[in-house]
Amino acid sequence: MYVEDFEAFYEQALGLFKARPIETRYSIKFRNSEGKLVLKVTDDRTCLKYKTDQQADLKKLERITSIFLPLMACGDLPAEGASGPEAGQQQQQQQPASGVQAGSTSKKARRRG
Amino acid sequence: MVLLEPDPFLSELHKMYERNKSGTVWITVKRTNMKPRKSKKPDPKAEYVCLIRANDGKRHVSTTVGTTHYAKFSQSLVIIMKGAMADTLKRKDKKKENK
Repeated sequence: MYVEDFEAFYEQALGLFKARPIETRYSIKFRNSEGKLVLKVTDDRTCLKYKTDQQADLKKLERITSIFLPLMACGDLPAEGASGPEAGQQQQQQQPASGVQAGSTSKKARRRG
Repeated sequence: MVLLEPDPFLSELHKMYERNKSGTVWITVKRTNMKPRKSKKPDPKAEYVCLIRANDGKRHVSTTVGTTHYAKFSQSLVIIMKGAMADTLKRKDKKKENK
């Protein structure tokens, strides 16, 4: 259950998410009195945990959180922060294009009528 | 379970960390495509959203984050977590490394 190496934990967690995106969840438990942080990723079949009490591991927490949030929100990995807003822009561009096409077909239908 | 907007959720999370110096704060992040309360069956056409829950044993709060808000939310979340955890976690002992 507890994974010693962060890179292995990260790779396995991504694998779990890609296999079962809806069932996989990521939990962060912080116990202030003991100064312990536990990261847990589970898909209700497999459970992976990473435990730490080091301040240096906060960067790892930041990295994994910034990967999992966009994965769960959009379904895609961000390409160094560029693909998130671009994906949103692409979606916005597609919507008016489809609207324009619908308008043009109705004009054609009117002309034929 | 109180469902909040992203910004009030972040404020509430910050307060939880402040209040619970002797306890535990849990944050859970999950993907879902269910529309809460409006329809009985999960809508297959509904877009995926990210559900984020926070709990300190007493108070439970949650929020949903979609494609448009996740970047800013993610940054704020990480800042709050690092701010709360930085003082309590141990720093590497340089003397041990030198040996």
